Amino acid sequence: MRSPSPRLSVIAVLLYAFIYAPILVVIVYSFNASRFGAGWGGFTTRWYEVLLENAPALSAAKSTLLLGIFSTLLSTTLGTALAFGLARFRFPGKAWANRLLYVPVFIPDIVMAVALLLFYSLARQWFGLFELGLTTMILAHVTFQIPFVTIVVRARLAGLDPALEEAARDLGANEIQTFWHVTFPLIAPGVIAAAMLAFTLSLDDFVVSFFTSGPGATTLPILIYSSVKRGITPDINALSTLIIIVSFVATLATTLLQRSQKYKNLKSER
Amino acid sequence: MRSLIILATVLLPLCTALAEPKALNLYIWSEYIDPQVVTRFEKEFDAKVTVDVYEDAESMLAKIQSGGVSLYDVVVPPDHLVPAMIKLKLLAPLIHERLTNFKNLDPAFLSPPYDPGNTYTVPYQWGTVGIFARTNASHPLSFSWGFIFDPKLRPESFVLIDSVRDLLGAALKYRGHSLNSTDPAQLKEARQLILEAKPKSLSFEGSVAGKNRVLARAARAAMVYSGEGARGMKEDKETVYFIPEEGSQIWVDNLAITAKAPHRELAERFINFILDAKVGAQISNFNQFSTPNQAALPYIRPEDLKNPAIYPPEAVRKKLEFLSDLGAKTRLYDEIWTQVKSR
Amino acid sequence: MNADPQTNDRSLTGALTRNGHWWRSALTSGPGLAWLTAFLLIPLLAIVTISFLTRGEYGEIERPFTFDNYQRLLGFGLLGFDPLYPTILVRSLILGLTTAGLCLFAALPLAFFIARLPGGWKTAALILVVVPFWTNLLIRTYAWQILFSSESWLCRTAQALGWLSPGTALYPGFLAVLVGMVCDFLPFMVLPLYASVEKIDWTLAEAAVDLGANPWQVFRHALLPQIIPGLSAGWVLVFLPATGQFVIPDLLGGAKTTMLGNLIQQQFGPSRDWPFGAAISFVALLLVVGGLWLRARNAPEKDGGLM
Repeated sequence: MRSPSPRLSVIAVLLYAFIYAPILVVIVYSFNASRFGAGWGGFTTRWYEVLLENAPALSAAKSTLLLGIFSTLLSTTLGTALAFGLARFRFPGKAWANRLLYVPVFIPDIVMAVALLLFYSLARQWFGLFELGLTTMILAHVTFQIPFVTIVVRARLAGLDPALEEAARDLGANEIQTFWHVTFPLIAPGVIAAAMLAFTLSLDDFVVSFFTSGPGATTLPILIYSSVKRGITPDINALSTLIIIVSFVATLATTLLQRSQKYKNLKSER
Repeated sequence: MRSLIILATVLLPLCTALAEPKALNLYIWSEYIDPQVVTRFEKEFDAKVTVDVYEDAESMLAKIQSGGVSLYDVVVPPDHLVPAMIKLKLLAPLIHERLTNFKNLDPAFLSPPYDPGNTYTVPYQWGTVGIFARTNASHPLSFSWGFIFDPKLRPESFVLIDSVRDLLGAALKYRGHSLNSTDPAQLKEARQLILEAKPKSLSFEGSVAGKNRVLARAARAAMVYSGEGARGMKEDKETVYFIPEEGSQIWVDNLAITAKAPHRELAERFINFILDAKVGAQISNFNQFSTPNQAALPYIRPEDLKNPAIYPPEAVRKKLEFLSDLGAKTRLYDEIWTQVKSR
Repeated sequence: MNADPQTNDRSLTGALTRNGHWWRSALTSGPGLAWLTAFLLIPLLAIVTISFLTRGEYGEIERPFTFDNYQRLLGFGLLGFDPLYPTILVRSLILGLTTAGLCLFAALPLAFFIARLPGGWKTAALILVVVPFWTNLLIRTYAWQILFSSESWLCRTAQALGWLSPGTALYPGFLAVLVGMVCDFLPFMVLPLYASVEKIDWTLAEAAVDLGANPWQVFRHALLPQIIPGLSAGWVLVFLPATGQFVIPDLLGGAKTTMLGNLIQQQFGPSRDWPFGAAISFVALLLVVGGLWLRARNAPEKDGGLM
């Protein structure tokens, strides 16, 4: 294989610039002294100070994290079990279960959001359940996270060598012991990757949260949306810059972690 | 993994249980209440107030209707939505004995046609709909709705208000019709005006966003409410808020308690707190809208009382009209609105 | 015997009785499937149901059972015939197709570029494509508001070059929406495409060159057939969500360009016409199911071919 031609490299660099332009702009403008509009009004760190005193932003950050953590825990558990069942057992209607799994992946967010809004309001009328708030948002997020978790974990399960599980059974382990001591450690990297994906999906979601949120359950995306709708963004730029930095560091850290993990595995295999 | 499930099931209810014992959930227009007033209330009543905001009245109603009725305690509906909210059983009758400051209100604003006897609501602020524009630009100002709807008069960039009754009302007024017209011919005329203006306009925005677009010089003019106009004029001396000569809309926003308010008692205390003379003045000094609180007038900044953008002179007030609830005919407006936004 | 290729029958589960399979799947897959049934399937069925009901005077959902919402969707409204909603549907499809097309156009060189990099650089280049995806979509979207406003350096340069009349901006407008969409969806096209490009058998291309094919012929006949799986996966991943997008047209179109998603939001929001909103949602749902069915028919059995 050849290395990329100069022409291809130039095009690629331009495309990277295109992907990164919005992110850079937000970071640069978080230091813009001008309060309104896109004109440059000099350098300032004022918006970061404003942000620190912005109670709604802090509470939105808290809600976002709570929502992300709880929904990820639930969806990773349910999704992993679901993947295991789909990969190992047969049951009537399995083909339909597989199809159902792909619906949330492709369905427009807004359709899922309004469907849940309607469902919650019907359930409230008939059974008095599901007051809108953090709980309904967690339930909603778990719903769109499960399929992604299942798809990722199932891929990992499919790549597993069945001989390992068979060996465990031959040595007298029961099914549950086999799962916990053999299967689960083997698919753990897949489960972690799935959980990370689920967590990111939760952090990134705006539409579903917007329709299922209640008082005090405003998340960062909802906060950003309503500020942008009002046309005031200086401290939102600062907030976004912080979010960008945190996600960059997190991505970098996990990538490095996976690397060192792989390296360790390689070493132990030798 | 099992421990994770246990953790989740234990922690989930715990989070809700840990919520503050005394709380109040307020659902109000953005930039409409002084955060310091909220803080003072929190201190005096040892409560935690959660403020959620909206940018247009219909979205507020939608949220209340789809579950907000048992989540929020105090809402701030405009006059024309009050009858609908009463009919939908979304509001709770006020307990007047608890509203000791009710006497502070200007009698002219009491027992309005949309809520006789103030059974469900008390007035919060009032104001008008008009145009907020930059004065120093090359294009001359004209104090008419034609500044938005007449191709010869309008500037190169302007913002339309993202609110069905406000925008259609302005177009109807420009043609000399009532704001509350349900005549399909007149409504089609108004729709035509807006459809012609839309491609030339910058965007549809809420009042606060419209003001910010003009301040940011992204737009020359925007349709806004009077408070945003007056606040904008303070921020930038080269801007003006005016009520077009054809006349416009006057409105009253009201404080009301939702039918299933989770913190019923604190809600009335909050309303009573707002009706206090000094608190009322502080709110109007902050949001630059007009107060229906007579006792608050002495504490209002004198220059605000003289500002025609906030308290229009009698001659202008004669040309102002209230919106009314249109009942089943609201569907006409909704249909036109969907068409206007979608084309 | 082995009717289901995903169940590994060589392992011990193969020895299970039918009943054994049944209760084991109930314990493992059961909760997840029950969850999806309760919070996905039933809500979607509820949407379909209320799409045949009527909006009350004040936005309640009422009987009678009616087809009015679908009639209205076809253009027969209160104020006479107006093919507005079919237009929006077509407009949304065009936006989705254009976005997917532009993404493909941009992703092809990027995928080939990454595939040709040496080992370590490859991973880094891939991560660079994915990293923006970890930041919030709203942030990446509103940033274009800044970039495209009349006072930004981008518009100033365009104005100075005479491409844009002075004082005007690119935001809000259809172009801004399109740019925002491509920027947001590009990674979804690059990743599956890269996965295919990576597996290309280059000897075919070399053979084609030896036989005197020009670069286009090489691409068309030797490379393109090999990357079809990634291409179609990327296409579905971009086209379907792009068609129903609601945030990007809202923020970058100045609330002026209504797409399918905005129409649904408006009905469940300010207009409070849930039955009509449900009818539009149902159409959007059919669109997705139809799209997936078409793909499944043309590219059978690769488990969705995701990523």
